[in-house]
Amino acid sequence: MKKLLSLMLVLGLMLSAGSALAETIALKVWGSQEDQVMLQEMVESFKAANPDKEYDISFGVVSEADAKTKYLEDPEAAADVFAFANDHLYELVNADALYEVTINKEEIVNANVASSIEAATKDDILYAYPITADNGYFLYYDKSVISEEQVKSLDGILEACNNAGKKMFMDVSNGWYIASFFLGAGCELGLSEDGKQTCNFNNEDGVKAGEAIKAFTADPAFLTGDDAILTGGFGDTIAAGVSGTWNAAAIKEKLGDNYAAAKLPTFTFGEEQKQMSSFGGFKLMGVNTMTMFPEEAMALAQWLTNEENQLKRFQMRSIGPSNKVVAQNEDVLADKALAALAAQAEFAVSQKEVLGNYWQPAEAFGTTMEAKDYSKDIQTLLDEMVAAITN
Amino acid sequence: MSKFLPIVDEKGFKINAFKETALIFKRGDGATKLSFLLMGFGCIKRKQYIKGLLYLFMQIIFIAYMVGFAWQYLSNIGTLGTESMKREWSEARQIYVRTPGDNSMLILLFSVMSILLIIAFVLIWRASVRSCYLAQCYEKNGIKQPAFKQEIKALLDKRFHMTMLAIPGLMVMAFTVLPIIFMILIAFTNFDANHQPPGKLFTWVGLKNFTDVFWKDPLISSTFGKILVWTLVWAVFATITNYFFGMILAIMINKKGVRLKKMWRTIFVVTIAVPQFVSLMLMSQILHDLGPLNLMLQKWGFIDRTIPFLTDATYARITVILVNIWVGIPYTMLITSGILMNIPADLYESASIDGATPARMFFSITLPDMLFVTTPYLITTFVGNINNFNVIYLLTKGGPLVTDYYQAGKTDLLVTWLYKLTVDKQNYSLASTIGIFVFIVCASLSLIVYNMSGSAKREEEFQ
Repeated sequence: MKKLLSLMLVLGLMLSAGSALAETIALKVWGSQEDQVMLQEMVESFKAANPDKEYDISFGVVSEADAKTKYLEDPEAAADVFAFANDHLYELVNADALYEVTINKEEIVNANVASSIEAATKDDILYAYPITADNGYFLYYDKSVISEEQVKSLDGILEACNNAGKKMFMDVSNGWYIASFFLGAGCELGLSEDGKQTCNFNNEDGVKAGEAIKAFTADPAFLTGDDAILTGGFGDTIAAGVSGTWNAAAIKEKLGDNYAAAKLPTFTFGEEQKQMSSFGGFKLMGVNTMTMFPEEAMALAQWLTNEENQLKRFQMRSIGPSNKVVAQNEDVLADKALAALAAQAEFAVSQKEVLGNYWQPAEAFGTTMEAKDYSKDIQTLLDEMVAAITN
Repeated sequence: MSKFLPIVDEKGFKINAFKETALIFKRGDGATKLSFLLMGFGCIKRKQYIKGLLYLFMQIIFIAYMVGFAWQYLSNIGTLGTESMKREWSEARQIYVRTPGDNSMLILLFSVMSILLIIAFVLIWRASVRSCYLAQCYEKNGIKQPAFKQEIKALLDKRFHMTMLAIPGLMVMAFTVLPIIFMILIAFTNFDANHQPPGKLFTWVGLKNFTDVFWKDPLISSTFGKILVWTLVWAVFATITNYFFGMILAIMINKKGVRLKKMWRTIFVVTIAVPQFVSLMLMSQILHDLGPLNLMLQKWGFIDRTIPFLTDATYARITVILVNIWVGIPYTMLITSGILMNIPADLYESASIDGATPARMFFSITLPDMLFVTTPYLITTFVGNINNFNVIYLLTKGGPLVTDYYQAGKTDLLVTWLYKLTVDKQNYSLASTIGIFVFIVCASLSLIVYNMSGSAKREEEFQ
């Protein structure tokens, strides 16, 4: 009994002494499955760069797209530093989830392209650290089927595809892609004063865009589906497809020398041709307001998004950088997909003011078009869609 | 306990707890009266030290719990918190320092927990008052006070049921009753994506969610109505088709003259061996617009354009019912096989001598017997189908989505809509409202049908 007591006493002393000596800084980082290895390497270099502090950094697999949902489920259990898509910024700020970027703000603002900083800003306050500037989409095409002249307009691409008996792929039943028509027509998504989604996709221009979508989906060369269908069929049955950089490697492999990428084409808008727009998305790194160690978490977030690590991202995962210096890197400039994305960027609209309510109704409209269900006219469908988005 | 407790009225019936407590107070002497305030005082005075001190100890713990922990939450239950997380600029640290504010969710959760504990404490308090009164009665009548050891022994003997049920009872309270009350209360708040603790507060909104669902919000209520109708249509079709096709299959296999009965049964049961979600995900791939089935049909020249099995509303609704038949009939077949074999063969023999057709025999002999035995099973299947998340979500994800539904699609059931509202939209209060409604529908339908059924009414007739 005495032995046991003394043992416990010693243990207790050791524990209290240990915690008094050096405080271990426990941080958790969320990133997507594909980024895990890369993140670990980055964190190791972070630890090496900050030897004066004891870090215990753990990882969780939560993709940028899921981060907001996972965060809101239980903010206290969420990661201290997490990557998220910039269209979730408003909802996260609204839940007071993100620490304002106040330490080294100048440095971060100067290092990254203006659009990415803008995407991480709400009401003139910077809330996150830009990671990438490539969360957008553009057109991949098969050079042997579609000429450089034809690729400029949607009609030209469809004509070339029909002549060759091939398909043009676009996932119209997805709010992210279908928006390119409406935004191209000049319609807008925004936020009302009480933080609700506003949307005018059902105005006169929107209806014209809707008619263009109807004509596009009714074309025999039109094909929809998911990434697996796109990458599986490119080169065989598919000659053109709208997608983002994450499919670049797979498509390049399928097309070989015929691999080409361009900005999105123009579409027939009433009598005239209009340039298809797109959502310009950015991936950002945020610091959780629930964290025990805000300064250290901020330092880590900055480290994970600095020049060196953005280059690493490009090299390991072909992710397009938001850092100005890395964007001028020779290899980055030579990347066809990133070049196409840069060409499209001019017509891209920030995804920042899009709330969660937008996606399902927009998908519903696309689904109706793809199913060629014309029991309701475009105006009615768009009115219903807008009502559901703004509810 | 004894002739002193429970206190009975002149006819010998127990009187209710409140009257009894009042009567104890009236009849009690000073020590017993003081025990109302100071738990266990009467016991201690009558030399039941351990018991008395235990009661006193419980009272101290309870007061400490209330003051030290529960009060900060209970005092906020009316508003569910008034101060959200604070944000202050710290010049020294160069950051906006956050200081936690009220957390509506924790206020609600711990308040519910504390209220349950208060109820438990009142019960303990009553037990203590009764013990003190009993001790007083014993003393007055010159009976020896029972030793503490004896009372403990009684817990393993005469009152063994209490000992046995204590842990399960506590578990049920903590893991079933508490969460259910919490969830039900959420339906009366505005807990959604815009009122997300700990950053934001949510508060009571009364019946707003219910009025929204039923009539006030045209979009939500029309979506709710349409989904409810489809849910019921689906549940009826899914239940009846499975039941009849399963039964017919069992009859066919069971028929005299059919060979290799065991092999047939095994073949159909094999589908059960594959986990349901695997077969469903596979089915959804096969039935995809560009899936193998469509491609095959196209290649063989049966169809020109693909059949939208899962992307057209009507097709999708028929498809989910058909696929549900496919995954469901083996279960009904197994259950009905057993019952079929139990129907006396002489019934059929005499029927056929009287010249009854097979159809007549089915409707007059097989079906009544079957319904008599399986009505409770049918009810559970029906309720199960109302909440059949797997088949719908894994096959169609509720789609095809349509523009006139609020965040839902044509094959969405109430339960999958509820899932989307919670997981995708964080609209917990609306989802909770729908959950309550689903429960009311299921519970009332089950009770009504069960009480009307032969299984309940003529239970004693079962041979």
